[in-house]
Amino acid sequence: MMGLTFYIAAAIAVIATVMVITRYNIMHALLYLVVSLLAVAVVLYLYGAPFIAALEVIVYAGAIMVLLIFFVMMLNLGKESAIQEQQWLKPRIWIFPSLLCLVLLGELVFLISQNHQPPSAIKVVDPKAVGMALFGPYMAAVELTGILLMAGIVGAYHLGRQKEKTLHRFLEN
Amino acid sequence: MSFVDFLSLGPLITLCAASVIAMLLVAIWRNHRIVYSFAIIAFLMSMTAVIPAIIYIPHPVPPLLVIDEFSLFNTGLILTAGLIILLLSFNYFEEREERKEEYYLLLILATIGALVLVVSRHFMSLFLGLEILSISLYGLIAYLRARARSDEAGIKYLMLAALSSAFLLFGMALVYAFTGHMDFPGIGAALRQAGYLPVSVMAGFGMMLIGVGFKLGVVPFHMWAPDVYEGAPLPVAAFIATISKGAMLVLLIRFYQDIQGNNYPMLWWMVAIIAVASMFAGNWLALTQQNIKRILAYSSIAHMGYILVAFLSGVQTGLEALAFYLVAYFITSIGAFGVVIVMSSSLQDAETMADYKGLFWRYPWVATVFTAMLLSLAGIPLTAGFIGKFYVVMAGVNGHQWFLLFMLAINSVIGLYYYIRLVATMFAVPAPGQQTTVVPALPIAGNITLGILTVLLIGLGVYPTAMMQLIQQMMRILS
Repeated sequence: MMGLTFYIAAAIAVIATVMVITRYNIMHALLYLVVSLLAVAVVLYLYGAPFIAALEVIVYAGAIMVLLIFFVMMLNLGKESAIQEQQWLKPRIWIFPSLLCLVLLGELVFLISQNHQPPSAIKVVDPKAVGMALFGPYMAAVELTGILLMAGIVGAYHLGRQKEKTLHRFLEN
Repeated sequence: MSFVDFLSLGPLITLCAASVIAMLLVAIWRNHRIVYSFAIIAFLMSMTAVIPAIIYIPHPVPPLLVIDEFSLFNTGLILTAGLIILLLSFNYFEEREERKEEYYLLLILATIGALVLVVSRHFMSLFLGLEILSISLYGLIAYLRARARSDEAGIKYLMLAALSSAFLLFGMALVYAFTGHMDFPGIGAALRQAGYLPVSVMAGFGMMLIGVGFKLGVVPFHMWAPDVYEGAPLPVAAFIATISKGAMLVLLIRFYQDIQGNNYPMLWWMVAIIAVASMFAGNWLALTQQNIKRILAYSSIAHMGYILVAFLSGVQTGLEALAFYLVAYFITSIGAFGVVIVMSSSLQDAETMADYKGLFWRYPWVATVFTAMLLSLAGIPLTAGFIGKFYVVMAGVNGHQWFLLFMLAINSVIGLYYYIRLVATMFAVPAPGQQTTVVPALPIAGNITLGILTVLLIGLGVYPTAMMQLIQQMMRILS
């Protein structure tokens, strides 16, 4: 039974990812990307990593995706964008991703109602252990991640700044 | 973390702190000269922090990092190279009209990434170091946004670096799936216990080689190199050619030693094919180039091929040769880029052959330095490059790698052609009344830095013993 649920979730992940890279419209691609990430989360849950599954949903499917979608929507403002959004959200666009999501939800409900236990060989890692590892032996990694984010922010700040019309210093006065 | 851990990681921690302070400094008071001075002080302090760390070596900081002779030597090398690039940067950016302060911040951050690579002994720190380096480099490569080619170069690097990181991660996952370890010694032990190299681990190593090969710029992952070198600001190109590649190479050696890669012929062949292809592709493609930056890019591809020959020799001399070659290559590459930096005017970089025609008769000092650097790249006696190449050949002979040595000899001859062509251009007598396109800036600080590099170059070429002894002592612990 567990094998079947895995194959369904994995198939959904593959289908959704194929849809991501074949869509011409970035909004449609993003919708499928959310589905793909949710499918991966179900696989993770199935294999005894509920904490990582929750993180996958919260961080990837939640925060990052919403940010991306907002970003795309904010780029084109005005009346045109309203029409655009209407076109984006036609039923035939969102029905298929929703169907995939429904299947995933069904799987999840099924797993929970079965009181699903991962195979005995797998040791389930609880959030506390993850936290202890991150702020114990792997603290250097956490700090380095901070440096990584700083590099990203500084780079994005410099490259993202509006190009102003600048004069050479000899021409300024 | 204990007190000794802090002392051992001193260079890294100093730079991390410096990056945060530099960011605040830029936020409070935006001034090019102040940030520049601060960055120099930060590098000097970080170099000083290497000294107390020496007392405690070898000192592993489990599970991620290890501080030993090898990593400290390379830390020092990277910091010195970073400082020299920094010294060459001031005038180059002062003359350009972009905001300049973030450059120093990103340079410090990129150097942190390189330092992490040098001390890491775990997939996790490997990946973090690599990403810090890559992400800082995206910003650095596209830094001068007013220039036509900078966006192209930045996007190209971004796309390919992201793709290669994905390969690297997948490879790591495959290796982890079989061995159950992410630290290098653990992987080595697990493989020894298994007694063979399963297909999944082989595929994992192959994929990791894609990620590593991209950073090293070896064939067939070299496509980005000429365009990025051409589009990036010159000091950044020097950084990519030396620090970024050197740090990755150091990591590759450590990984290869820890898993005892010599026991697996398949792995050896993968690297050997890459080495031969890099030498040939780099040298052939450089032959027809008219752009100095592109010539240097292709030449660095070829040099990575030479270094891999030393890597593959499988003897202790090979590792020593590699470390020595790396030092010589750092000096020579930064020197060559340094010449192009001081020759560039505020309006454009001096990158075409025409800018160097008859240079000796106009600026004899710069032409002499450039000639020394090019001869070192070609491997002519009395320069560091010659000793480096000699060392590599010696390692190859010790390891009986006749095929690789034959390829290296052929390529040295091909390489000679385009280096000498460039030298000949500089010494050509200019036709009377000929106008030069670029008016060089020739800043004093840049000239002094070039002088130091030339002295180092000739010094290592004439009296390499001291450096060799240091390297031999350092490499003993790796075997």
